[in-house]
Amino acid sequence: MSAAPVAITGLGVVGPHGDDAQAMFDALLRGESALRPVFPDLPRPAAAAMVDFDPARWFTKLQLVGVDRVSQLAVAAADLAVLDAGGLAGADRERVGVYVGCGMGGAGALDSAYRSGIANGSGRVPPLTIPAFMPNAPASHVAIRHGVLGPVLTYSVACASSAIALAEAAKAVRSGEVDLAIAGGSEALIVPGVVMAWQAMQTLAPFAEGQAATAVKPFAADRAGFALGEGAAFVVLESAQRAAARGARRYAGLSGWGVSSDATHLTKPDAAGQARALRHALRVAGLSPADVGYCNAHGTATRVGDPVERDALARVWGEEGIERLRVSSTKALHGHLLGAAGALEAVVTVLALHHRQVPPNAHVAQADPACALNLVRPGDTQAPDLRAAVSNSFAFGGTNAALVFERAE
Amino acid sequence: MSSLTELQDLIQDKYGLDAAQLDPHASMREKGIDSLALAEFLFEIEDRFQISLPDPDPAMDTLAQLAELVDQVRAGAAAQPAT
Repeated sequence: MSAAPVAITGLGVVGPHGDDAQAMFDALLRGESALRPVFPDLPRPAAAAMVDFDPARWFTKLQLVGVDRVSQLAVAAADLAVLDAGGLAGADRERVGVYVGCGMGGAGALDSAYRSGIANGSGRVPPLTIPAFMPNAPASHVAIRHGVLGPVLTYSVACASSAIALAEAAKAVRSGEVDLAIAGGSEALIVPGVVMAWQAMQTLAPFAEGQAATAVKPFAADRAGFALGEGAAFVVLESAQRAAARGARRYAGLSGWGVSSDATHLTKPDAAGQARALRHALRVAGLSPADVGYCNAHGTATRVGDPVERDALARVWGEEGIERLRVSSTKALHGHLLGAAGALEAVVTVLALHHRQVPPNAHVAQADPACALNLVRPGDTQAPDLRAAVSNSFAFGGTNAALVFERAE
Repeated sequence: MSSLTELQDLIQDKYGLDAAQLDPHASMREKGIDSLALAEFLFEIEDRFQISLPDPDPAMDTLAQLAELVDQVRAGAAAQPAT
């Protein structure tokens, strides 16, 4: 097993389990769900995982002008990641890049513009609606905050957005195009119109009163969809050489990435396409499937999606090998952060390697035989031999991303 | 009538800048109220006073100038017969 050339030296999360990545990981290990009922006035009950966020910690009132929640969360999470990495002191800002995944941009700003401009009949829209909602605003705000002068890029690839952002950042670090990358994702679209749109897609899990927290059941026989989540997650990437030279703590290495397209259907997942991404990621990492001990699954708990992901994993690991691969979808606990999902789940996967503990696949009373996987059971989270792990992100649009991480030895 | 005090209150409320921090004759841009913030501030003023401001002169950069403009518009609105 080769040492990964790209090191992860900082983690930052502002998510449904709070703004401490370690505390979030501990909550996930305990199987604590952040899903709650939202918007009681909607025609159909809805649950989501929201962030308890105080922007005053990162912004003055004046700085908040025209800054949507999606950018606020991004700035906060990126700031925590940079802080965790020991700051950017000594980095040539022209050789630092920002790589951000975001699915929708400032949904709150758009929702508010529609309400003020049309719904209440005023015909007036706040003048900063465009800079607030544009999907690359989060990346730009992060760049401004840290004076980043290199590439500042946004990837909008639905649920794979921020996994792809991490992959692109890792490529730039490995090729020497940048010395250091701040990479992650942000999403903040828990507004009534967007929640209703997802309900209309028939993808959100229904739930009985009082059962919102356990509504999402990845790979379970009675699974019925996901719940939306919001938040931001960032990592700091730099070459292993640079990290070693400055004595930085290395949580893990990002050693492989694979991106593929199904080219079949906009929303229907495809096992062959997913398997192509996984194989490519393993090839880049120089690993064989047997080297990988844990998979943080895409696992959206939809009727259609989960068996297809199982099929994709079985194609790559083989029917025997897949029994040794431990799998969990943490979306049961933090919801589906869409454009930020890949980055948040990357942080979870990195911490799993760092601590050699894997988070459980929660809320499964009975697994679906069509999703026969070695699911991490609650309480059985120790993984003393874990050396490599993979995180899957499969997007509407048919783009698949897989990231392979290795323990920093 | 001068709108200056009301504008100072609005800036305090919206942007957390109190009157002592923003000399009416100092550059607003230098205090962080850049072109984007000013655009939003004008929108807030229109909402608060129920008036319609003309597009601002790009040279306008002090709160005193803005208060003068608001005064003129409010005086004009008051002079209009009610419809």
